[in-house]
Amino acid sequence: MKKYGVFRYSLSLFFFLITATLAKSQQTQPIINAALTGKIIDAVSKEAVEGVTVQLDAVTHSVKTDRRGNFQFVTGQKLPFKLKVSFVGYETQTLVISTSPTLIELVPKHSDLDEVVVVGYATIGKKNLIGAVDRVSQQEVRDIPTGSFDAQLQGKVAGLQIAASTGVAGEALHVRLRGATSINANNNPLYVIDGVFLNSESLQTINTGGKATSPIADLNPSDIEYVEVLKDAEATALYGSRGANGVILITTKRGKNSQSAKVDVNLYSGRGKAVRLWELTTGSEHAELVNEYFRNIGQAEPFRPKDVIISGVAGRGLPSEQQTYDRLSEAFRTAGVYNADLSVYGGSDNTSYYLSAGYNKQEAILNPISFDRASFRFNLDQKINDKLKIGSSNGISRTGRNQARAGDGPRGGLLQTALHTPTYLSPYNENGVLVGRAGFDNLTLLLDNYDIGSTSLRYIGNIYGEYQFSPSLKFRSTFSVDYNQYDEREHWSNLLIEGSPNGLATSAISQSTTWINEQTLTYRKKWANRHTFGVLLGNTLQGSYFSLVSAEGRGFATNDFTLISAAATRTSNEDWDQYKLASFFGRLDYAFDDKYLIDFSLRSDGSSKFNNGYQWGYFPAVGLAWRLSKENFLSDVTFLDDLKLKTSYGLTGNQSVNSFASRQLWSGVGTSYQGVAGIVPEQLANQQLSWETTSQFNIGLDAEVLNHRLTTSLSYYHKYTKDGLLTEVLPGTTGFSSFTNNAVEISNKGFELSINSVNLQRKFFSWNTSFNIARNVNNIEKLATPQNYGSRNLIQFKEGHPMYSFWVYNQLYVDPETGDAVYEDVNGDGRITTDDRKILGSIWPKYFGGLTNNFTYKSFDVGTFFTFSVGNKIYNHNKFFGEGGGARDAARIIFQSNLDRWQNPGDITDVPRSDGVNNNNYKDGGGRWLEDGSYLRFRTLSVGYNFSAQRLGKLPISKFRIYLQATNLFTITNYTGLDPESASSSEANQQGIDLGTPPQPRSFQLGVNLTL
Amino acid sequence: MRTYLYLFYIAFLTSCSSFLEVDPKTSVSGENIINDETSANAAINGVYAALRDYYSVNYQSIAYLSGDNVQWTGSQSLVQEFINHRVNAENATLSSTWVDIYKTINRANNVIKALRNYEGDRIPTSVKDNVLGQAYAIRGLAYFDLVRVWGGVPLVTEPTEKVGDNVGIARSTATQTYQQVIDDLNLAEDLLPSTTNRFVFTKKTVWALKARYYLYQEKWEQARDYAKLLIDDQTNYELLTPYFSFFKNNVTGTRESVLELFYSANEVNAHRLQWQPQTNGGTRQWAPSEALIVLLTNPATAGARSQLIARDNQDRWYGDLYYRSTGADPTYIIRIAELYLIRAEAYAALEEYNLAVDDLNKVRGRALLTDKPNTTDKGDILTWIEEERRLEFAFEAHRWFDLVRTGRAQQVLGISESFRLLLPIPYSQRLADPVIAPNPGYSS
Repeated sequence: MKKYGVFRYSLSLFFFLITATLAKSQQTQPIINAALTGKIIDAVSKEAVEGVTVQLDAVTHSVKTDRRGNFQFVTGQKLPFKLKVSFVGYETQTLVISTSPTLIELVPKHSDLDEVVVVGYATIGKKNLIGAVDRVSQQEVRDIPTGSFDAQLQGKVAGLQIAASTGVAGEALHVRLRGATSINANNNPLYVIDGVFLNSESLQTINTGGKATSPIADLNPSDIEYVEVLKDAEATALYGSRGANGVILITTKRGKNSQSAKVDVNLYSGRGKAVRLWELTTGSEHAELVNEYFRNIGQAEPFRPKDVIISGVAGRGLPSEQQTYDRLSEAFRTAGVYNADLSVYGGSDNTSYYLSAGYNKQEAILNPISFDRASFRFNLDQKINDKLKIGSSNGISRTGRNQARAGDGPRGGLLQTALHTPTYLSPYNENGVLVGRAGFDNLTLLLDNYDIGSTSLRYIGNIYGEYQFSPSLKFRSTFSVDYNQYDEREHWSNLLIEGSPNGLATSAISQSTTWINEQTLTYRKKWANRHTFGVLLGNTLQGSYFSLVSAEGRGFATNDFTLISAAATRTSNEDWDQYKLASFFGRLDYAFDDKYLIDFSLRSDGSSKFNNGYQWGYFPAVGLAWRLSKENFLSDVTFLDDLKLKTSYGLTGNQSVNSFASRQLWSGVGTSYQGVAGIVPEQLANQQLSWETTSQFNIGLDAEVLNHRLTTSLSYYHKYTKDGLLTEVLPGTTGFSSFTNNAVEISNKGFELSINSVNLQRKFFSWNTSFNIARNVNNIEKLATPQNYGSRNLIQFKEGHPMYSFWVYNQLYVDPETGDAVYEDVNGDGRITTDDRKILGSIWPKYFGGLTNNFTYKSFDVGTFFTFSVGNKIYNHNKFFGEGGGARDAARIIFQSNLDRWQNPGDITDVPRSDGVNNNNYKDGGGRWLEDGSYLRFRTLSVGYNFSAQRLGKLPISKFRIYLQATNLFTITNYTGLDPESASSSEANQQGIDLGTPPQPRSFQLGVNLTL
Repeated sequence: MRTYLYLFYIAFLTSCSSFLEVDPKTSVSGENIINDETSANAAINGVYAALRDYYSVNYQSIAYLSGDNVQWTGSQSLVQEFINHRVNAENATLSSTWVDIYKTINRANNVIKALRNYEGDRIPTSVKDNVLGQAYAIRGLAYFDLVRVWGGVPLVTEPTEKVGDNVGIARSTATQTYQQVIDDLNLAEDLLPSTTNRFVFTKKTVWALKARYYLYQEKWEQARDYAKLLIDDQTNYELLTPYFSFFKNNVTGTRESVLELFYSANEVNAHRLQWQPQTNGGTRQWAPSEALIVLLTNPATAGARSQLIARDNQDRWYGDLYYRSTGADPTYIIRIAELYLIRAEAYAALEEYNLAVDDLNKVRGRALLTDKPNTTDKGDILTWIEEERRLEFAFEAHRWFDLVRTGRAQQVLGISESFRLLLPIPYSQRLADPVIAPNPGYSS
């Protein structure tokens, strides 16, 4: 931890030096002695606009505004002047100026049709886009205080489903784009940053109770210019074997040529706290419930006077004598969030650069978990001559984590210790010594005597060269690397279960490297002003390496020794993996009069994971678009600015299984006996193992109306996955539990609607709304044997049902006469057995999306952002334990909700009479704890104030905004747990089970955005 | 420019097939792996590793949790189900035990197939016979362990070499399964050397196992005779006095032991984690039952066996047979005490009452308990033996199987439904292979 301190100081020093230098250069004011001077600002943001062309009417001479938006004319003409001002992204204006100096406000264009979009190795004007692609600019989401940018995208893109399953920054999220296509292969979208394919799978090896870190959190969100989400096959097919789950393209900020140096500073600091915590019984209530259980089963009450000894066991005292001990407030805290980013960017005629440094620290509300990241980025582009351009993108980060076992498992489980230890049990024994209870550690001892931490060093970068043979023909070659060294350590002192009797230390170092070499040749030409024709040819070679060395030491002289070398017993382990991909791809596109658009693409991928003959997969796609608004029959419809119908069909693949899943393997791992190595059959071969293939049909309608004030986009898609990669179950009689096979079929159908509207646009007041909503229907079309996942087999995958379905006993009611739970007898045999478990809902919402409203009034801006999810189920696994009816006695907490149990004939309740663990009433897999996880979350509210250009006066500042932001102000939900998005595991197939997870905090932060 | 053209050229012309060739390092890919002395020895080690997988915790816990010596203090119902005799077909301990036993059988089958018809000269005959004999013996033990829990099971005697092998094999009867056990033990007996080794199978280990087999079969003469073979081998096997000498003070491989599984800091036994209290790094997930505590704290019934339990800093009792912080606690599969008690039971059945009491008292004597008197009441003797076995093997894999074997389980443990004497076939296995029928009483 101390190391970061030093880093923080040096960072602030860096800030100071840079700002001081720039401030100095600002002192040199241009000499104004001409007939006209002026300043041009953005009509909305009131920010100075640099590079605006200012032209005197009827004169060819023009000037451009400088970095502060100033311009001046030296001219013989007299006032008033007629001026024409124009700039990309703004309405061109012609105005008459009668005073000098003058202030001109430029109105931004509301059409984004001129925007260009990066898709499939090429850049395309948005108006000619055929695929389903959404863009989120970092500007929109930058204030959301999350560790990683993917969390910021939640609710911003229709069809992009993100479950913020944890209140811990930098932990893995469940991200799904247009549903999920695979049971055992990875379902994460492909992340590509400036052309580098990112590893998005955690390198964590240490047990943190089912949670894993997110490698995406190694990226500083502030360095991102915008994120594009590629959804349909037209857009993703060029990513071939990697594209089946959608592609998220991240473009980092770059300097612009001929732009003087600018400095951006973003600072924020905040505090977060849990909205509420679990409601637990008091010691007395706990004792009452336990006694009631023992009475119900006809045994003696354990909470009886201490001198009443039954079969050698003394009483524990009457319920009324029991104390209540609060552990939750010791475990939870008010967490701090801190962020500082500094970037400098600009460019000369031939060179442009972007340089940034950032530091982010986020404490979790669960003590002592924290996340911090120091990052550095340098992007450079250099024109060597008219034809050759080279450049590089480089991001280096160091992410540190202070971790805990917040999840499943009793040994060292921090949240379980705090939550699940019965409240009547004192943390001290009779001798005043701190002791662990109920199989858990003592919370106070735990907090002070363990250390789990990791450090991720990440380099993501590339170099490229681009050669422009002619205006239409361009060649580009890049070499990219994603390198991650992930260093973990643990120490458990001898006062803890894990560390006893003499301490335990572990250490693991993982290294993951992915390199990609890529060549593309693009040709684009327009003939006769209406035929646009483009060709793209390319190839990539990719290699991924992974290695892990870990060691463990047990038995230390004292707790002061924490390095493995000092341990009495030392063991070590090594792991290794590698795979390669070779790919070739091409695309043809043709547009007639920008009205009829067609393209065809094909990618072929060869993977080292498959055997000869099954190695190559071919992924074609075709897309069509028709811009109806260009047709004559619609030319009279004046309110219509643009209307486009588009459709596409194509194939994408998935190959993310173990690198050697197709081989017959013999292993030597963990097979020695008496210290002599052994060998064992480990895996059966599947010679035919090959690609999982997803076909996707997409049809969409994009419209812009009312002078670009209202844009809408509606899409329908149908994805069908064949030859899905499956860890197919083998009967135990084979001696194996499974093999990898192409054996599952899954469909995803859905629609997405997004609406952006400029509701009001006045001189002082504006109001914009963005809304998106999506629905995805997932279904397993073919799966021979149902598969169960999660604690107590709560999740089941079964043909004819969606993935991630909950498999439970359907509790119908509690019999008011007997107090017994009555379950649906599915097979009607008069008994409730495993065969009566049924699928009752899934994690999939019926609808989900987000609603953003932005208001500006004079210099104030207000933003509100809601996310919602309707119809998804969540299993309240904390409550399953906490509502055990007293049968778990001293082994588990009891929740307040258990007090509503049936007690007397005639009681109407859904909490039955206590009858034991996993007997009829408190059954493992009971449907009573399966709840509706629908929610509407007021995710953020921000209020900002922009100091206007005038107010900043001569300060060397072109923009200065301060803001206050509140996160998670409220959540409307029927879920009785703390957070309807919680999940105890980062494992995709176990999502939707809420156990031992800290909720997302409510936080407030104060921030500053400054541009020099 | 030339550089780029060159890169382009390389990229396109590099032979893709060689670029895409990557071989595993962590594991070895291929067939006919067992082909010389080293690989044969390594393969049999792998079989022991699998035997250990099911024996270190799961299999033993099925036997003692289902008895009356252990109570549960944790939160997981899968433990409670055994204690309450309401075992669910989804019980995870049950399914991993099934899977791990068949994994052991498959590994043994690989060794058997590779060596059975081996004609080459890279494996000396003595090594071949020894390894092959061990494979048969382990397979015999594995089927014995299966039939004791579930009754008749699918009999698999060939290795699974490709997908599709050993699928769709229906359950044999219990009699057929027991026949498989004795066939394997007979083959092993012929092949193995009559050396003494407490960590791997030898001819003597097979004799001991056969004694147990005939006890279960109620073939008393054979049970008596095979037990005698070891009891008489007093240079190698001995009842250690006092009782706790075979496990206290980190000892392993004592003269008490006929077969125990080897563990070390590198080959860890997780068993102690379930027993030891938090202060010793365990969870005390299960603990001695109140009835057992009474027996083991009363000097008249406990004797030297009082050392099986201890108290933690919250004054709670915990089982202390598995306690080594390095994880080197052995799994005791057969101890010489069992052979005395087998012979005692056989003598009693054969109405050799004094000899029966004699064997029983040998076991009691080294536990520092008073002798039982000679009697001709067979029922008394059998009850004494039952009680002796309960304490002698308090935390080993016997109590449930003993009570089921003698037909006493329902009465002693208060089980009303007789179908519960066989545990349910794991639900996951019925899903994976519908040909495997459930045990009666456990659903359709």
